[in-house]
Amino acid sequence: MGYEFDWSVLLTYKQLLIDGFIMTLKLSIIGIFFAFLIGAILGLARVSKNFFISLLATYYLEFFRNIPLIVQMFFIYFSFTLTDSFPFLETFGTWIGIENHNEFFSALIALITYTSTYIAEAIRGGIQSLPKGQLEASKTLGMNYFQSMYFIIFPQAIKIVWGPVTSQFLNLIKNSSLAMTIGVAELTFQTQEIDSLTFRGFEAATAVTILYLFLTLMTSYIMAFINKYMLIKTSSKGGNIR
Amino acid sequence: MSDKLNKYFEQHKVLYFLFNFVLIVSLLKLFQVTAYPDANFSEALTSGNIQFMLFGMDDELGGLVLTFYLAFTAIILSFIFGSILGIARWSDIKIFKIPATLFIELFRSIPHIMVIFWVFFAMPIFFAMVFNIKVTSSALTSAIVAFTLFESAHIAEIVRAGLNSMPKGQFEAAKTLGMNHWQTFTLIILPQAYRRMIPSLVSQFVSLFKDTSLVYVIGVVEFFRAATIINNRIYMSFEILSIVAIIYFLCAFTLSTIAGQLEKKVEKQINT
Repeated sequence: MGYEFDWSVLLTYKQLLIDGFIMTLKLSIIGIFFAFLIGAILGLARVSKNFFISLLATYYLEFFRNIPLIVQMFFIYFSFTLTDSFPFLETFGTWIGIENHNEFFSALIALITYTSTYIAEAIRGGIQSLPKGQLEASKTLGMNYFQSMYFIIFPQAIKIVWGPVTSQFLNLIKNSSLAMTIGVAELTFQTQEIDSLTFRGFEAATAVTILYLFLTLMTSYIMAFINKYMLIKTSSKGGNIR
Repeated sequence: MSDKLNKYFEQHKVLYFLFNFVLIVSLLKLFQVTAYPDANFSEALTSGNIQFMLFGMDDELGGLVLTFYLAFTAIILSFIFGSILGIARWSDIKIFKIPATLFIELFRSIPHIMVIFWVFFAMPIFFAMVFNIKVTSSALTSAIVAFTLFESAHIAEIVRAGLNSMPKGQFEAAKTLGMNHWQTFTLIILPQAYRRMIPSLVSQFVSLFKDTSLVYVIGVVEFFRAATIINNRIYMSFEILSIVAIIYFLCAFTLSTIAGQLEKKVEKQINT
């Protein structure tokens, strides 16, 4: 029993792969943006001195971190009709060129809630690793809590935790492949599609594996680039870390 | 006020637990009432359904038991395999180092679901082509193999980081005592390095436990698949999936709390 590879199917069905790649990119970029935003807010809320704010942030973190991503996706997708409850999602979806709004946004929201918890934990670790003198010094300069958090603490903390945050971004890109289970036509979904059309799953899977490798490597290069050329400036402005 | 509350709850742990419990249950109830007012849990959770979700069919392993079986087997296998890979990558011997590095980097940069698909569909053909033997692998076997491959790449990185974190003085001190390479490594370095790795290993195992829900895609009837089978029959997704989410949460949260406790303990031991 042998298997003969026939790579020409990739050329025939290249449009499917390109569509899937773009869909994965859309999920990843929007997901990374919001996951980082929410993660940063939650990370700050987690170290807040207000008892109830930090308690609620802890609830959110523990809750969404300990439920598997696929369960979250299924829960959102099968229990709710997102576009009915939030009509603006439909407008937004049409604007970025999505056809199946419900599937896409269920997957996206689950990805964001799941990844933001990990990002928040990383950022919390970064903030807590900063010496206490930083906050006290910025208070002495007459800054209020939000100013010192925004100008002093956060830029330094983000530089310390850039590595873990990068790996969470990569995890989000890889986890976006789970969206196939609820029918979002991204890369892994297209592998199955090509497999069922031509019975040539291995060629498609090889191509998709290489595309994922490319995507994750590109992301880690971009993040390293940002780390090298952009973050240093903020931290030298904000004061030297250790 | 916040300081007072913090201090009060630090002294009264039981009250803190009760306070959290009541608050969480009322928040969940509030969510259910606002988002899905006509939920009917008693109809979804008949004893037959619960039994199927926990134990699967009568004649074969399934449900939550299978999830634990899968997680447990994969944890043991990936721990052994991951340690070997991690040590190989950490070592200076190139014949071991380069393949280990390639393996780790490959499996760390492709999605878990792709690994499961690869193993499930490609393994029989691979064996037929390379060793010329016919392997008929069940979905469960391929799931375990896929988990072992994927998780061992992640565990290998933890092992390598743990070994790298050992101070150089340990090696030198062992040499002064007249130990050879092998003795130094197995008697001095590894035991200490493993103790440092315990917290990250446990949190990796928690994520492995959560990832067992992914074998849904190749049709292993574990907890999540069992729940979706019931859901397809009676279509009460809110009730069933929220129960699934809560049970996963309870299992994973218990494990990650243990990981947190261990982390504190290990930090104390290292610092003293």
